Amino acid sequence: METALTFAQPGLLTQLRRSLAADVLKLKHTPALWLTLGSGALPVLLFALIFFFKGQFILKPGENPWPAYILQSWQTATGLLLPLFVVLLSSLVLHTENKALAWKHLYAQPLSRAAVFGSKLLVLLGLNLLAQVVYAVLLVASGWLLGVLRPGLHFADFAAPLGAIVPLLWHTFVATLGILALQYVAALWWRSFAAPVAVGMACTIVALTLMRWEYINWVPYAAPLLSLKAVGKGLAVGWALSTSGLLALGWAAAALLLGYVLLGFRHEGAAR
Amino acid sequence: MKTNSLLVETRALSFGFGPRQVLHQLDLQVPAGSIYGFLGPNGAGKSTTLRLLLGLLPAPAGTVHLFGHDQARHRLAALGQVGALIEMPSLYDHLSGRDNLEVTRRLRGLPAGRTAEVLATVGLSADAHRPAREYSLGMRQRLGLALALLPDPQLLILDEPTNGLDPNGIIEMRALLQTLQREHGKTILLSSHLISEIERVATHVGVLQQGRLAFQGSVAELQRRQQGHAQVVIDTDDAARCQLLLPVDLGGATVLGPGRLGVPYQSAEQMAYLAQQLVLAGQPVYALHCQQPSLEQAFLHLTEPAVA
Repeated sequence: METALTFAQPGLLTQLRRSLAADVLKLKHTPALWLTLGSGALPVLLFALIFFFKGQFILKPGENPWPAYILQSWQTATGLLLPLFVVLLSSLVLHTENKALAWKHLYAQPLSRAAVFGSKLLVLLGLNLLAQVVYAVLLVASGWLLGVLRPGLHFADFAAPLGAIVPLLWHTFVATLGILALQYVAALWWRSFAAPVAVGMACTIVALTLMRWEYINWVPYAAPLLSLKAVGKGLAVGWALSTSGLLALGWAAAALLLGYVLLGFRHEGAAR
Repeated sequence: MKTNSLLVETRALSFGFGPRQVLHQLDLQVPAGSIYGFLGPNGAGKSTTLRLLLGLLPAPAGTVHLFGHDQARHRLAALGQVGALIEMPSLYDHLSGRDNLEVTRRLRGLPAGRTAEVLATVGLSADAHRPAREYSLGMRQRLGLALALLPDPQLLILDEPTNGLDPNGIIEMRALLQTLQREHGKTILLSSHLISEIERVATHVGVLQQGRLAFQGSVAELQRRQQGHAQVVIDTDDAARCQLLLPVDLGGATVLGPGRLGVPYQSAEQMAYLAQQLVLAGQPVYALHCQQPSLEQAFLHLTEPAVA
């Protein structure tokens, strides 16, 4: 017989909102959050020191230092550090659930699989964007600081190219989406920290090795570095996505769709 | 809600991991308002059954009904009325006890005051600010119970909830479960491999043996069923001598102690006859009574592997 209990089910958007609120709270004191806030500082610090000590050898006298400063830093950050950051971030965020044996608890709540999948994806996208914005802000701030500390480099004599940085961020962010989606699905499937990180690192190294390959646009782990192709002379950056950017979006869509379907076959039979 | 309605009901529920069949045609029936002790030795399939009830595993054969609704079609709505603690509690060690509860409160969209209420219920208010990684095993178990209690559920599914609790903690847990059932009308499905944990608290019992229900019913029913295992206990001076003197009546008796014998119970007349024979043989009879099997013995009878 059926009971007289109210059998209401929250709508998908409500579930997503609730799940997101919980996922944000889980970030408190996590390495994922520290990595997001701190990782942007590393390439900035590196290039600020290089320009502080050796800037006079890198820049031509009287030249606007901003394009060279931003491009060189961006190239290092996007080529190797950004893919590794995304690999590490996705594993760290999901490892919070693995470590707490929380999947069984999570799926015993009145939440659909789609809400859990969507909310964690949104958290990852948000952290990824936050890290890149923090990096860009720190980069510009370090340029201003160099203008004060090393007036001979002429940072203070030219305006910071803020108009170029926003579209540059757009290209870089889109370029990371393929990696993010693949790593997200891998971490959800394996439910381990080490396995997806190892695979992600290997893929990044392979991508860098294959950089001269004619089909490199198809390799999602190369997309962040390839996104710099959107940069024209004098740091002119348009909004139109390059082939590698479009393919990164394609990878993201395919990985998320296929991953979501595949993950439907994964059940909470083990002790987690 | 009718008191005789079933809050949990499975029909011909079967499950296997690959070729290994874990559950066979399980017809579980948990009455509303009961504390249902789900008993079985380790590996009998208890946790798998509970995971199937919650939809954590798909049921390849048979059906699960929660609150009278087909779980396959109304899973999320049903889970809104269920609080569960499956095996080890799911705790985020980097978060405080309070934040651990806050996570689940947010997941379920519950009122903000609920966290403080359940912390008080499980006696963790004073330690709520401490990171969960600093909690003892017993505190972790209590926090796990608090997570299950958070939505004020109609049905509590608790898998081995006293794991890691000290004797005081076990007594407190027992009292809490009884309060929840008696005063708040909760239905509690409680799994354990320890009969002593169940017998003081359960109103109903299901005994799982190798994936099959060996028994299901009220505790009183189980004890009645086991009356065939009742025995006459005789306290005398010398058990061995009594057996020598009365080989026909006491030859097959079990020696329970130097002056104590146990004989399978048949009837009141049998007891009178044994007393008479012992007195005639010149043996003192200090006590003679019929002893019903304990729930523990009943459990052992039900779960001992069938002899081919």
